[in-house]
Amino acid sequence: MVSVCIAWGNAGYIAPVRSDEELMAAYIAGDKAAFRELFSRYSPLLLRAMARDLRSPEEANDLVQQTFLHLHRSRLDFESGRKLKPWIFTIALNLKREYFRRSKRRYETSLEDDRVAEPFEGPRGQERSDAARETERALRALPPEHREVIELHWFGGLSFPEVAEAVGSTVAAVKVRAHRGYVALRERLGDSAPGSQRNHEAGPSVEGSK
Amino acid sequence: MDCSTVRDAFVSGTVLPEDQVEAHLASCPQCRELYQRDAELGRNLAREVSATVAFSGDFFGQLEQKLAQETGFRAWLRSRPSGLRFLLLLLPLLVVLIATGALRHRADFAQYPLQRVLLLLTIYFVAILIAFGKELSESPRGDAFRDHWALLAFALGVPFLAAFAPATELSRQAAPSGELGCFAYGALLTLPIALLLWGFNRDDRISLRTVCLSAAALGLSANLMLELHCGNGNAEHVLLGHASLGLAWLAAWCGMRLLSRPIHLRK
Repeated sequence: MVSVCIAWGNAGYIAPVRSDEELMAAYIAGDKAAFRELFSRYSPLLLRAMARDLRSPEEANDLVQQTFLHLHRSRLDFESGRKLKPWIFTIALNLKREYFRRSKRRYETSLEDDRVAEPFEGPRGQERSDAARETERALRALPPEHREVIELHWFGGLSFPEVAEAVGSTVAAVKVRAHRGYVALRERLGDSAPGSQRNHEAGPSVEGSK
Repeated sequence: MDCSTVRDAFVSGTVLPEDQVEAHLASCPQCRELYQRDAELGRNLAREVSATVAFSGDFFGQLEQKLAQETGFRAWLRSRPSGLRFLLLLLPLLVVLIATGALRHRADFAQYPLQRVLLLLTIYFVAILIAFGKELSESPRGDAFRDHWALLAFALGVPFLAAFAPATELSRQAAPSGELGCFAYGALLTLPIALLLWGFNRDDRISLRTVCLSAAALGLSANLMLELHCGNGNAEHVLLGHASLGLAWLAAWCGMRLLSRPIHLRK
């Protein structure tokens, strides 16, 4: 059993933080509080993933609820030793795909779609907000299979092996899809691409290739 | 592995063995930089594009209400592990096949070559197992290839082709009558499987994939049973009494899908 301990302020209270897999095992054993903890960990991530593609917040909320309902119904399918995160995202992605099939809408949205991310309240104000909108539009214009892996990796917080498991592909294949997406993004954004010389802020790292 | 191989694959999108690529990146700063640029762009994307989202109302309370409604026999059925659901789905098919096979034989069965009978039964049975397995699977469902359409086309097409396949003298001479009886017999025998498929389904809204896979499994199951029991090889009889069962189950599942549609999408 892998547990990490964290300290709460100066009170000296030590609370064990259970891993996702431990929480899932506890929920299967009947611990309802474990489900609430899983919900609090994953619902913001899932809602953000849904809200990026759906037009109304109600539909995004509904799909997140469906994801947790499905998680509950398939809880006995969860095998010990398996990672929970890609499994939850697989459920969410399946539901999202079915939503688009059902509503006969394309997975990707058009460039004319004005429903882009909320303005970023950062230090550079409007300039940063415009850049964010431009980046968001470029991201939306990517083919769904490229955009999906980029979003899961960078916004969903999944590692490439986890992305591969969530979308049912190989690690090498999802890296290729991500790379093609990055190339297309650079072509669309030119100098305004995040991470280009003009916007260069972060130091080099090999994180993305891992 | 050399630089040109890694970069050619990188540009063309060819998938190389993971461990070899990692080993090369560890030793080659130029190729590593190629990957670094992607990583840097991704990190900046995550920082720059941040969607603001909010939950509506008492989100967890609503979910708890829905979870509280997860009681009863159907809730128990749909929460069984996939392996058990698969076996439970297979059980009525095997019971019906064995029981009715022992009680009722085709009069002309002995006239068919054994290989042909075995091949036909194997094709039907394997296709049914694939349909069951895919329907119950929790694996990722990609957009690229809609395998459920292929299985549905197979399930609908094979019985139609069987109507025009060479038959025995006895079955050729049979009158086209009795198709309604065969239709009702096939539908009745597959009804328990249909109910289980509905009971096992974990989605609140029946998906197109479920419609296709369930119709395929039921159509094939019904035709497999009729193939074993009905000796009437008249084309009109086979088309109306046997092959139409796949279409009938397809229509039934389409109806269920429409009924499971949420209000806001019915407009």
